[in-house]
Amino acid sequence: MDISKLKQRSDRSYAIALEKQNALEKAKSRMILAHEGHLFKADAETINLVKTLSEDSETFVMLDVNDNPVLVEDPKALLYDLKSKNQEVLNSYHQLYKTIIETR
Amino acid sequence: MIDKGVMAYCINTDRYRYDRIASKTIPLLVKNLGLPVTVVTNEDTLPSLPAIPSVDHIIIENQTGNFINGKQWNNLDRHRAYELSPYDKTLLVDIDFFCYSDNLLTLFDTEHDFLVHDQVHDVTGKDSYNFRCNSAIPMVWATLIFFKKSQLAKSIFDMVAYIKSNYEYYCNLYRIDFTNFRNDYAFAMALQQINGFGNYPVMPTKLATLPANAKVTSVDDNGLTWSIEGMQGNLAHTDVHVIDKGVAYV
Repeated sequence: MDISKLKQRSDRSYAIALEKQNALEKAKSRMILAHEGHLFKADAETINLVKTLSEDSETFVMLDVNDNPVLVEDPKALLYDLKSKNQEVLNSYHQLYKTIIETR
Repeated sequence: MIDKGVMAYCINTDRYRYDRIASKTIPLLVKNLGLPVTVVTNEDTLPSLPAIPSVDHIIIENQTGNFINGKQWNNLDRHRAYELSPYDKTLLVDIDFFCYSDNLLTLFDTEHDFLVHDQVHDVTGKDSYNFRCNSAIPMVWATLIFFKKSQLAKSIFDMVAYIKSNYEYYCNLYRIDFTNFRNDYAFAMALQQINGFGNYPVMPTKLATLPANAKVTSVDDNGLTWSIEGMQGNLAHTDVHVIDKGVAYV
């Protein structure tokens, strides 16, 4: 293959990687939510932790993003908020990702 | 006292027309955060600022004498934000921060007294802001500061004022390579001191930043485009700190 075509390919890959990284950072910024005055990331780890702990107990303590302990008294409400936020953000990221791939 | 609001400093220099940047960024803050906004300015800059309902102004006699790259840098009054703010909970933003989302509203629902970013994301992918080797302590980014009227927040701002008045000493103590006054380092030092040389809460996201060598090519209500070294990029509905002062004329 012609070297100029290879360079074009390389440039395209770089542009996609950069746009993807920016879209991902945008998603991560959007994934923060406040609950009972504390900040949480609505990511898979937090959702899994809340889901798991709520199976055995109606209240429990977990850490917020700054490692402060939080007594969660309404795990259902927190889990609902986390899942809603997570999917809202990831759906947007998914749409943006498709656009990046298609337009480049 | 008003419950919550946004505050920004906008003071022109001989070199840069910050009022022109404010005419782009203040409407975005009003539109996307829906909070009252207060602009801290001086007598010379005030007539040039955009007249926007719901935006108040506080006029100060700003301190001068600091420079960056040989040019005047009016950044010596940021520590006064605590006393100047008319809000119980304040989001202090740089005037070149383009707010394209409502993400920052989340901060107002927390119990934290003071939050800043300790991480930055260079949207050009060049990783331009790795300053870890330029000081003995990690830098924070004073671009966005969330604070409540509280003893802790007041102590931090008072500490910044103290550090500022003894800046050469603190620069040497913390082995900071940059000798001009920088709020990023002043707040980093103050946070470390006030928090007992330990950790402190930070904003759990990265501050998206477009570095100075990336030139903004267009700005609208939803985002902006930029170019760097022949490469084009765009951001939509993403908050971003724009360093290129040429954005004033885009």
